[in-house]
Amino acid sequence: MVKRTRAAHRLISEGAEAKLYGARLFGIDAVLKHRARKEYRIAELDERLRLQRTRSEARMLYAASSAGANVPAVLFLGNDKIVMERIDGRMMSAITAGGWSMRTMRGSLRRLGAQLAILHNAGIAHGDFTPANILLGGSGKVYVIDFGLAETTGSAEDKAIDIILMKRSIPARAYAEFVRAYRAEYAQSGSVLARVSEIERRGRYQARTLLSA
Amino acid sequence: MAVLGIESSAHTLGVGVVEGGRVLSNEKSMYHMGPGGIIPAKAADLHADNVGPLVSAALKRAHISVRDISAIGYTKGPGLGPCLRVGQLAAETIAAHSGIPIIPVNHAVAHIEVTRSMFGARDPLVLYVSGGNSQILAITDSPFRHYHVYGETLDIGVGNMLDNFARAADLDPAWGSSVERLARGGRYIQMPYTVKGMDFTFTGLMTNASRLLGGRPSRDVAYSLQETCFSMLCEATERALFLTRKSEILLSGGVAQNSRLRAMLESIAQSHGIRAHAAPNSLNADNGAMIAVVAEKYQEKGFRFPSKARGIDQRYRIDTVEIGW
Ligand SMILES: Nc1ncnc2c1ncn2[C@@H]1O[C@H](COP(=O)(O)OP(=O)(O)O)[C@@H](O)[C@H]1O
Ligand SMILES: [Mg+2]
Repeated sequence: MVKRTRAAHRLISEGAEAKLYGARLFGIDAVLKHRARKEYRIAELDERLRLQRTRSEARMLYAASSAGANVPAVLFLGNDKIVMERIDGRMMSAITAGGWSMRTMRGSLRRLGAQLAILHNAGIAHGDFTPANILLGGSGKVYVIDFGLAETTGSAEDKAIDIILMKRSIPARAYAEFVRAYRAEYAQSGSVLARVSEIERRGRYQARTLLSA
Repeated sequence: MAVLGIESSAHTLGVGVVEGGRVLSNEKSMYHMGPGGIIPAKAADLHADNVGPLVSAALKRAHISVRDISAIGYTKGPGLGPCLRVGQLAAETIAAHSGIPIIPVNHAVAHIEVTRSMFGARDPLVLYVSGGNSQILAITDSPFRHYHVYGETLDIGVGNMLDNFARAADLDPAWGSSVERLARGGRYIQMPYTVKGMDFTFTGLMTNASRLLGGRPSRDVAYSLQETCFSMLCEATERALFLTRKSEILLSGGVAQNSRLRAMLESIAQSHGIRAHAAPNSLNADNGAMIAVVAEKYQEKGFRFPSKARGIDQRYRIDTVEIGW
């Protein structure tokens, strides 16, 4: 009992927006995502952003899951807190931090492309589609987390930004594998990928140097 | 020996003299925008009239003559073509007379480097906020030592947005500083807030604020515009801070003169237990000394710029510039 209480308060991660704690709910291993107050911004704006994003994240997680994507199930929704199912996996960014092995990553990249295809097909743009928000399960299953910036959208531009964020974060060969699966699984991938090229031509993104490649 | 710097990328013409990183003089003259904003050809004409007298004034204020100058820097870009050309031409003319090297300088690098050297910040996370640009950067060594852009505006710079708003609100002068004054004591009105990861956009916010002007007290609109756009910049900066784990934040560029933005960055720094730095206003506004500071660094490291590497570049990206010191 004591042990469980301690585990329930364990800080898993602290990000720019939220703190994540280990939790248990209905006997299920869970994580609590709390968007704490930011002192730098005025209370009205701060509250609006935290509540809006918490509510929106829960809604988007639900929509993604209904569409068949691998995302954690929402167990409880509070004002500035979400309790969700804990995924037993490792962050893709942590796995590749020591270097890239295409041999071990190829399958995951294909499944990642397929996951993004499911989201985009359901009209969901993730908004922060980087390896830090991808968890790889032991079984090889690929999970997408952190829907704090996700939006329902019809715009090819929003979807293209998802692709560009991932492209900027992984080596070119890995990107090729990922995008091949995305193209195969998503009927409208053509217009999104055309928009990717267009955004890159516009200059802002294209001219950026790559950190990780 | 001293180094002269000429800045003329937009509405400000600045001439500064620097020696051993110390600012000996920093003179400027300004083009004042009408309701239509800046007209590049007119600003350039004014700069052309002023550049000669301003160089003399800067030398005089520094108590030196042109013979004491060992190099001359000018702003290569980014900026408005006609304005940039005035600075380059002036630099070429002075150099032709005295046979000293000419050094093209990136405007954004100058804004950041003048602050970085002032505080001796080795490896800071930078929030660069000027008229035409708004970026979050940090120095990276690969593939060459340069400022990597972690996030930036996907449309207009935050400074231009504030200037546009100042014009829409008939403020005089039509500058960001007038918006800051007007915003004092305002009340919050909800406005569009757009951050995408570490990038952000401002046009939606600007349109919304300008539209609200008729119906709402302009003080409330100005206040809410500032709070919203600065919160966007801060959120993106904090995200970059978590990603890069830098132990210093540096705020620079024209909008860094805004005391509300400075306070917000200070608050972020405090919550992370790190320091935030911003230079005095005279070095955050466009000025010639910052160009001289960077020119001197190039010179000390023996960089040479043949005439084909000079010229101007209206879209000169900061992440193409080698930071060779
Ligand atoms: N459902 C989950 N199961 C397991 N770990 C999670 C879960 N959600 C988040 N995490 C862990 O917490 C980290 C931060 O969560 P995230 O939702 O991405 O918050 P932030 O908005 O701070 O980035 C993730 O990178 C991951 O390691
Ligand atoms: Mg995340």
